[in-house]
Amino acid sequence: MVLNWKDVRVLYLREIRSALRDRTIVTNSVLLPIFLYPVLIWLAYTGVTFISGQNEELKSRIMLKDLPAAHAPLRKQFETDKSVVLNTSPNPAEDIHTGTLDAFVEFLPPASASGVADNFAVRVTFDESRDQSDRAKTRIDQIISKYRDDFLQQRAVSLGISREQYQNFKVDDKNLSSNRQVSAFMIILPIFFIVMLAVGAMHPAIDSTAGERENSTWETMMAAATSRTSILVAKYFYVATMSFIAAFLNLFAMMASMGTVLAPMFQSGRGTSSLRIPIESAPVILAGAALLALFVSAGMMIFASFARNYKEGQSMVGPFYIALIMPIMFFQTPGLAFTTRMALVPVANVMMMIREAMQGIYHWPLIGLTLAVEFGCVIIALRIAILIIQHEDFVMGSYNGSFGKFAKERLLGK
Amino acid sequence: MSAPVVVSNLAKTFYDEGRGRIKAVDSISFECHEGQIFGLLGANGAGKTTTLRMLSTILTPTAGTASIMGHDVVKDPEGVRKNLGFYSATTALYPRLTTRETIEFFARINQYPSERVPERVEYLIHRFGLQKYANARIEKLSSGMKQKVSIARTVAHDPAILIFDEPTVGLDVLNALDVQETISELRSEGKTIIFSTHIMSEAERLCDRIAIIHGGRILASNTLAGLRESTGQHYLEDIFVLYVKAGLETV
Repeated sequence: MVLNWKDVRVLYLREIRSALRDRTIVTNSVLLPIFLYPVLIWLAYTGVTFISGQNEELKSRIMLKDLPAAHAPLRKQFETDKSVVLNTSPNPAEDIHTGTLDAFVEFLPPASASGVADNFAVRVTFDESRDQSDRAKTRIDQIISKYRDDFLQQRAVSLGISREQYQNFKVDDKNLSSNRQVSAFMIILPIFFIVMLAVGAMHPAIDSTAGERENSTWETMMAAATSRTSILVAKYFYVATMSFIAAFLNLFAMMASMGTVLAPMFQSGRGTSSLRIPIESAPVILAGAALLALFVSAGMMIFASFARNYKEGQSMVGPFYIALIMPIMFFQTPGLAFTTRMALVPVANVMMMIREAMQGIYHWPLIGLTLAVEFGCVIIALRIAILIIQHEDFVMGSYNGSFGKFAKERLLGK
Repeated sequence: MSAPVVVSNLAKTFYDEGRGRIKAVDSISFECHEGQIFGLLGANGAGKTTTLRMLSTILTPTAGTASIMGHDVVKDPEGVRKNLGFYSATTALYPRLTTRETIEFFARINQYPSERVPERVEYLIHRFGLQKYANARIEKLSSGMKQKVSIARTVAHDPAILIFDEPTVGLDVLNALDVQETISELRSEGKTIIFSTHIMSEAERLCDRIAIIHGGRILASNTLAGLRESTGQHYLEDIFVLYVKAGLETV
């Protein structure tokens, strides 16, 4: 069987042309990878904003007790805060428990003699298990903190010194790392990327194998004046192309939507600097995607080719898809380091490599090892495919069984 | 000079889990001569499709030999396929390609000279009256039109040998007659045609020679006149029944 590249080109273009006219393939391999992030993120953001907006509108019902007369302005601040309403209750603890009061603020004498006139301690009673009560506690903290800052400022001015001199030191924070939300998102991105790559391959793999059988075009192709090797190579390249296109579009959509759609999700810009995939990471990500696309395509085509129709093809490819996704689910722990051992685990290694590359981290020896392992997987998958297509009943679709049965009977000889 | 199609002791055995070894085709031999229609007449499961699949190199014979235009089906399958147009019982077209794209694709993949493909495509579109549907997708065409496109794609690379495997199955009378007429025209253009059917009237009307096949074996092979003479029966149906019942072998 001689491989004829001219024939491969004709067959490949025929496959691509047909695919781009198929709604299922276009939806799963082109549209979904592009719109998944912007739409999903927008929906999540809108949902979160809506829910938090609903909660923000609720006023906190707070009761103040024994506020020192010298600190009357503090009461004024509570009264003027639009998110707070002051209540009274004979049994505040019970009311907090039943939900008719959110928090109870008691002004107590200071725990130790501070020497500061009119000093006080504050005890806030609230119910952490209730969001509304917890929010009331936060609002109380904010109002009292602001009052304390203003109070200290005035004291400093009356002593003729600056606030910093009076306060001796001031703690300010600068967060160099990404915040928790950003970190979590950067872990999810490579998983989505690989899922999209697999989804991108799935329908073309079924279409080019089981779909051909269902249409009876398989027999027509077997009688065409070209080698079967050329036919299979063209089909393989077609499936791998669709898978890679899905991955590429996915990466593009990620990069485009990161700053515009995602950044507003993370308030005050904390960690937004890490909400960007460095452009220089693209070659590493795409190299990993290309090899993974070749492996996934070979695997899916092997499984799908045991089916006699499209529906059967979907159920045959299902287990392979799950087997593909399972490893990456296990490796999504935030603190997990990319080690040599991990670089030996197919699929998960690509996910780790992509995760690091997205954060601008490049461990070149591990990247090399990952690509070599994936290349090895591609070779093994193709070797299995070659062994399978040597069986005539399989090629003609008269073999009655799954890949598992075939492997047991014909490949392992049991 | 040998015949364009020579089949000698061709056999095919399948293995089925439930039924064990099945002899689908059992040592058959025949020859087809240039510009003739050779008919394989048999009931369902007689071995017609298996025979045609071996001739078109889709299946590999278990024993025996066959050659198409001098190319051996086992040793030179691509040479065979280059000289062969295979038309199966189903339409077997890509639904998302247009008529024009379909004919062009099959012309190219069957090694018709690249520079002459556009001209050939236009010729076939006119030849089969497909002008109105040239840019319509196959999935939008009627069964009759699909049948025409299917024949056009079979002859796209202008092969010397054509195999028609039960081409009128599932067609209404008018479309079936249309197909028969097309096959007849192809013969008059000098094509050598192997035609399988289980419809007696089709075989009577079209075939220059008829082989009666049953249980994987050819029971008789002759012209219609020859078959009539050797059996003393006039109607092909009677001749067929006589051979099948008696299990006579006259080849």
